[in-house]
Amino acid sequence: MENKNSNVLGSIKKAIPELFEPNWRLWSFIAILIFAILALVVFPVKEYKGLIDPFYSPTILVLPVVGLFRLTCYAYRKDYYRNVFNHPQSCAADERGDSNSRGYSGETSLFAFNNLHRYLLYAGIILLPFFYYDFYVSVTYFGGFVLRFASVLILLNAILLTLWVFSCHAFRHVFAGGNVKCYDCSLNPKARKGFFNAQSMLNKRHEDWAFISLVVIILLDLYLRALAAGWPIDFRILQVL
Amino acid sequence: MNKEIKLNIYRFDPEKDKEGHFQEFSVPVKEGMVVLDAVHYVENNLDPSLAVRWNCKAARCGSCAAEINGMPKLMCKTRVDSIGDKISVTPMKAFPVVKDLVTDVSRNWEIAKKIPAFTPKPNLKEPWVIDEIDVSRSREFRNCIECFLCQDVCHVIREHDKNYIGPRFMVKAASLDMHPLDNIDRSKFLHEEGGAGYCNITKCCQSVCPEHIAITDNAIIPEKESIVDSYYDPLTMLFKKLRTKNGK
Ligand code: SF4
Ligand code: SF4
Ligand code: FES
Repeated sequence: MENKNSNVLGSIKKAIPELFEPNWRLWSFIAILIFAILALVVFPVKEYKGLIDPFYSPTILVLPVVGLFRLTCYAYRKDYYRNVFNHPQSCAADERGDSNSRGYSGETSLFAFNNLHRYLLYAGIILLPFFYYDFYVSVTYFGGFVLRFASVLILLNAILLTLWVFSCHAFRHVFAGGNVKCYDCSLNPKARKGFFNAQSMLNKRHEDWAFISLVVIILLDLYLRALAAGWPIDFRILQVL
Repeated sequence: MNKEIKLNIYRFDPEKDKEGHFQEFSVPVKEGMVVLDAVHYVENNLDPSLAVRWNCKAARCGSCAAEINGMPKLMCKTRVDSIGDKISVTPMKAFPVVKDLVTDVSRNWEIAKKIPAFTPKPNLKEPWVIDEIDVSRSREFRNCIECFLCQDVCHVIREHDKNYIGPRFMVKAASLDMHPLDNIDRSKFLHEEGGAGYCNITKCCQSVCPEHIAITDNAIIPEKESIVDSYYDPLTMLFKKLRTKNGK
């Protein structure tokens, strides 16, 4: 019996070795996805005393847009091509020895939709101010100015989303002057190139912003859920009434 | 550290062998030794028939590219004490083997010829002057030593026969496209002939480049975005059309 079990395990391992690898990044994405779907369907928390859940900002209806924005982001593309589709299996030798035999079309057919990433970027830019508005709502909820720990998280979330959105490669090309051939020929060369250089510094860390911003959304959501469930962790940091 | 390492070298002699095999050598270790030193020790003391290509031993010429324990690296820039005492050295897999560690990289020269050459803007005043501000961006690409490690590591070239020109030539195209006096856009070539769509921006090339060129971030993705401008984004396409109609 045991032998049979280990055989089954062995063949699964052979077919999908990734399941047995310490691939924390892939696993965290999958865990976050499952968590988000369950949480939104089974136990929705839209708001708790002026603290708006990030999934509902400004409305849950934009969630598909936000999802598509992440899905077409260069950072996530790299992750799922590598970790879900195994193209490539690894940067070194093809250890499974099966890449040749698996079909590959790169971004020429199905994944060509990723080329529309910039339109989702435009939507993302429009949505950003709402997260700052949430911060404003959270500190003015009781009248006066009350800074709760949750408000700090909301602000942090907004800032990280901003860093992710503005470090985007499509942003770099369309807005930051990545498409400019000659900076010296533009109206204000110094400002133009300076902006490009500054954005490029953010862009260098784009993968990090993409990941950290996702994790913080989940932390914020969890924290608000805990508050809504009555946990006594609603700390006030500063209060001017 | 052990006094001796086991060096497993790939051997193939087209005149004698049908296929390649590994041969193990014991090499005494010296302070600061790089893999190329170890290979030279074998060539000088154990088997003079071993074929290896190198020139500068200073990571400048790019000739000593090989796969060390499976990873594409320069032999002259990889210290023995950074990888342990069992080291395998194989020729670059993406290119045909001439003998032992020497590969035939001439296919790269064919690709280089296909890239639309620098085409200056019409009626430029001589001498040509470009501003410092416009030099910095493509300067990074000029560091390329043409070791072709990036071509070797790219899974599209290694594992799928797709006629993709490869990361080195995306860098080349980008350095021309970012030249302030150049007058053409290479996105048409890259999209229709260069197979740029096959690159799935997974960044292995960027991770092996000994010159630390941000190949994917600074060359490939910008070129992909230019391709989006010309082939996928209806707004920019319309805008471009209007501009050419107005004769600009
Ligand atoms: S990023 Fe593109 S060019 Fe570079 S190794 Fe990956 S597929 Fe090849
Ligand atoms: S881009 Fe880097 S890895 Fe590729 S050939 Fe040039 S120096 Fe070598
Ligand atoms: S010998 Fe020139 S780069 Fe290694």
